[in-house]
Amino acid sequence: MSELLQVRRVAKTFDAREGQVVALRSIDLTVLKGEFVSIVGPSGCGKSTLLQIIAGLVPASSGEVLLEGRAVVAPPEGVVYLFQQYSRSLMPWLTVEKNVQFGLQNAAPERCAHFLDMVGLADFRARYPWELSGGMQQRVAIARALAAEPRVLLLDEPFSSVDALTRLDLNGLIMDLWTRTGITILLVTHDVEEAVYLSDRVALLTRRPAEVAQVFPNALPRPRSPVDSREDSRFLALRHELLTRLLQPA
Amino acid sequence: MFTFLRVHHLMTGMQLRGFAVVIGLLLLWELSVRTGAVRSESWPAISTILHALAGGFRTEGWGAVFGSSLYRMTAGFLLAAVVGISLGLLLGASERLHRIVNPTLEIVRVLPGPALIPPLIFLLGVDDALKIAVIAIAAVFPILLNTIAGVKAADPVHLLVARTFRVPRRRVLLEIQLPSALPYVFAGCRISLGIALIVTVVTEMLAGSAGVGYYIVSMQYAMRASEMYAAIILLSAIGYLINRLFLAVEQRSIRWAHRVEAHV
Repeated sequence: MSELLQVRRVAKTFDAREGQVVALRSIDLTVLKGEFVSIVGPSGCGKSTLLQIIAGLVPASSGEVLLEGRAVVAPPEGVVYLFQQYSRSLMPWLTVEKNVQFGLQNAAPERCAHFLDMVGLADFRARYPWELSGGMQQRVAIARALAAEPRVLLLDEPFSSVDALTRLDLNGLIMDLWTRTGITILLVTHDVEEAVYLSDRVALLTRRPAEVAQVFPNALPRPRSPVDSREDSRFLALRHELLTRLLQPA
Repeated sequence: MFTFLRVHHLMTGMQLRGFAVVIGLLLLWELSVRTGAVRSESWPAISTILHALAGGFRTEGWGAVFGSSLYRMTAGFLLAAVVGISLGLLLGASERLHRIVNPTLEIVRVLPGPALIPPLIFLLGVDDALKIAVIAIAAVFPILLNTIAGVKAADPVHLLVARTFRVPRRRVLLEIQLPSALPYVFAGCRISLGIALIVTVVTEMLAGSAGVGYYIVSMQYAMRASEMYAAIILLSAIGYLINRLFLAVEQRSIRWAHRVEAHV
């Protein structure tokens, strides 16, 4: 597998009232083509900022992000960022179908129908997002992201505001879509179990100013199942390690 | 559901009581003349006024009086809406342009529209062009300022979504910033409609040869109080209807802005 995404010494400093705040000190991370990598870290450590820098939505203060060797300075083609707040990321004035079409340059209705079908919402294309439940809204956002046929999908805590069962359900959906499409996924989450269940590797960030503390390979075999895999000794071992490190006093 | 019904009943109850007040005031008016409490040529009984009102419908006099007024009002308002919305979109989307144009806008904005009638007569004469221009100038600002505010109120998450999908600038303006601004645009249009009606009547009073404003002034000079009041009452009814009609259009157009979120 080849290196698709390289994050090299990326740092981010914000101007705040109390002076300069260093959010990211120096981040190094490599993601291979087709890989599923998660980034976990304490809340407020700058995980989302890092993901937005990789998406080309926010400039880094120093360092660089390379996509297939080319520096990312603006949102690159083939990279889609999925927002945490589904209720704000969908347009309330557009139907589900029109929302899915929004990301496309030339919108083909069959293509929208195909991706809505993939997320199990074929029957809801004429509805408005605000008529749907939170989990269904995030499915629409996922369909919209997939319809653009990205090579890299950046997920920013996409399941943090749905209930626990819906979350497991959406985890399964993402894993299924990843397996079927072969795209590369980088997931930012504060949920250690979600990270371990889904990923090939888990990058643990330190507290602010953040650095990569360690990248853990995940020995949990695939295919994974939502109940059994979470009781596997390899799942439990990695979860134990990550939680211990996260809960360590500063 | 139960609370909804109760609120609904309460509202119709309130509305009924509101109309009862209107009827009551009109009855007092009638009594003030019938009992001889007020005796004046310029204070006819409401029944006499309503008689004159009905007479105007039979002779199609009102059509002639109000037709030209409504034409000028509509033309002025539409002009204001087209200019206000398109300029508002541009200024809302470009902070730099807004800062350059803003002082000019603020200076023109504080001028009362009718004050422009005398200088504009030199440019446009005294006919429809003058009146439509004055109406448009007076009506454009609520629409313009609201559109600018509406464009700026677009959700930053929507703008980021557009960026991650590499949506071109023009589509962002028309497919995110314009719809986001619509509730503000409608609110501005409703204010402007009221202004357009006022300015229509004022321009006709000042530089008129037709229309309801001219009619009201003429009837006053001719000491025909019944016709004068009849025109005023009809004007009030038309203003009320225009507002209700516009509200109905607004509610249908931006249903999403009045949405009730589904409960997860």
